[in-house]
Amino acid sequence: MNGQQRPILVAEGIHKSFGNLHVLKGASLKVAPGEVVTLIGASGSGKSTFLRCMNLLETPQDGFLEINGRRFGFSQTGAPPRDRELVALRRDVGMVFQHFNLFPHMKVIDNIIEGPVQAKGIPIGEAREHALDLLSKVGLADKADVFPSKLSGGQKQRVAIARALAMKPDIMLFDEPTSALDPELVGEVLGVISDLARDGMTMILVTHEMGFAADVSTRVGFMNNGVMAEIGTPDEILHHPKNERLRSFLNRFHANR
Amino acid sequence: MYSWDFSALQPYWGLIWNGLGTTVIYTLVTVAAGAAIGLVVGILRLNAARWLDILLRAYIEVFRCTPLLVQLVWVYYALPVLIGVDMSAATACFITLSLYAGSFYAEIFRGGILAVDKGQWEAGRAIGMRRGKIFRRIILPQAVQVMIPSLINQTVLQLKNTSLVSVVAVSDLLYQGSVITAASYRPLEVYTVIAVLYFAVLFPLTLVADRIEARMGAHK
Ligand SMILES: Nc1ncnc2c1ncn2[C@@H]1O[C@H](COP(=O)(O)OP(=O)(O)O)[C@@H](O)[C@H]1O
Ligand SMILES: [Mg+2]
Repeated sequence: MNGQQRPILVAEGIHKSFGNLHVLKGASLKVAPGEVVTLIGASGSGKSTFLRCMNLLETPQDGFLEINGRRFGFSQTGAPPRDRELVALRRDVGMVFQHFNLFPHMKVIDNIIEGPVQAKGIPIGEAREHALDLLSKVGLADKADVFPSKLSGGQKQRVAIARALAMKPDIMLFDEPTSALDPELVGEVLGVISDLARDGMTMILVTHEMGFAADVSTRVGFMNNGVMAEIGTPDEILHHPKNERLRSFLNRFHANR
Repeated sequence: MYSWDFSALQPYWGLIWNGLGTTVIYTLVTVAAGAAIGLVVGILRLNAARWLDILLRAYIEVFRCTPLLVQLVWVYYALPVLIGVDMSAATACFITLSLYAGSFYAEIFRGGILAVDKGQWEAGRAIGMRRGKIFRRIILPQAVQVMIPSLINQTVLQLKNTSLVSVVAVSDLLYQGSVITAASYRPLEVYTVIAVLYFAVLFPLTLVADRIEARMGAHK
C-alpha cells in the first residue's frame, strides 16, 4: 500500500477452519481507497474463503477485520458478530460470485432493486432510477424487464455487478467473475470491471486472468496454503517473483496456456 | 343386463349434496391446517436442534408409515381412552387428517426449500438482507415452484382420503352413499354417482394444477 492513505480495509491474521480443515492460517491484507487488488494462487489455497471472510459470509475464528471504520475481532471463544452488524457491513461491501447467483424468479430490474429496497429501505422509484442508470453503465439498458434465464452468461454477470453496485458499496469483492463464462464472453465482463477501476472503485478480485490482473491491479497478492505469501505491484509479482511457490505457480500457469 | 334407474335416487339428492359438501369442507380445512403444520415442521427441521429434529421426524414417519384408516380408528377409539377425553368423530377426523396431511406437506416443504441453490442465500446475505427476508422473498418463491406439483398431488390425495371418515360415521359423501344404499337398494346407481362426483371435483383441480405449473415455469 502507498502508505499515506488510511486503509479502507484491513484484514489481519485471519484464521478459518472448516471442521478439521485449517484453510486460512493468518491471512492478512490492507487495501487503500481506490486500490484494485488481485488475488492469485492455486486452487484450494484459500482465496475464496479469504474473500468471503471480508464480508463475513464466513466468520473467521481468529484475527480481525476493519472495513471503513467498522471493526470486528474474532476469537475461538468470542461471540460471533451480531446480526445487525453483519447486515450493516454487507451493505457497504458488494460481492460478485463466480456463478452470478441472480434471483431467477425476478426480472433483471427487480434483481437490482431488491437490495436497496429490501435491505436499505430506499423508495422503489428512486431505486429503479438508479438501477436503470447502472444497467446502462453495464450496457444492458434494454434488458431491465427480462428474466435472467433469457441472458447469456456474460450478461448475467454484468447484471450481478449492477446488483452489487446498487447498494452503493465502498468496496467490491469479485470471486472469479469470469471463470464460469465461455471464452468469448469474458471480455465484456472484464470491460465492465475495468470501467469500475477507472472510476476509482476499490476492488479485491480473485482471478486467473493474468493479463487483466497486470492491466488493472494496483497490487497483486499471491496466496499459498492459507496465507498471503507475497504481495506487490503487478510487475513485482508477475515478472519478478521472489517466492519459490509463486515462481512455480506462474511457470505452471504459463505452461498451461 | 342390469337396468339402470337413476330416478330411484330422486329423494336422496339432498343427502348426496350434503355429503359432497362435508367432503369438500373436510378437505379444505384439513388441507389448510395440514399445510400450516407442514410449513412450520418443514422449516423447523431445516435447522432444528437434534432432539427436536428427532421428535419431528418421529411424527412424520409415524403418520407416513401407518395407514390413514388405522390412524383414524386409533385416534377415535384408542386416544380418548388413553387421555381420558371424549372426542367427537368430527374432531377425531379433523385432527387425524390434518396431522396426516401435515406430515406429507412437511417433507414437501423441506425438500422444496433444500432444492433451492444455496448460492441464493449467499446472494441475499451479500446484499445485506436479513435471514427472514431472504427466506420469504428469495427462497420460498423458488421452493414453491418446485413444490407445486407435489402439493397439488397431495391435495388431490387428501380429498380422496377424506372418504375414510365414513368409517367413524362422519357423514361425508361416501357415508351418505352407504346410507342411501341401505334405504334404496340401488348400490350401483349410488356408488356410480358418487364416483362421478369425486371425479368431477378432482379432474378440474388437476387441470388447474397443470395450468399453474406451466405458468409458474414461464420464466425458466
Ligand atoms: N464451506 C466449506 N466447508 C468445508 N470446506 C470448505 C468450505 N469452503 C471451502 N472449503 C475448503 O477450503 C479450502 C480452500 O477453499 P477455497 O477458499 O475455495 O480455495 P480457492 O478459492 O483458493 O480455490 C478447500 O480445500 C475447500 O475444499
Ligand atoms: Mg475459489
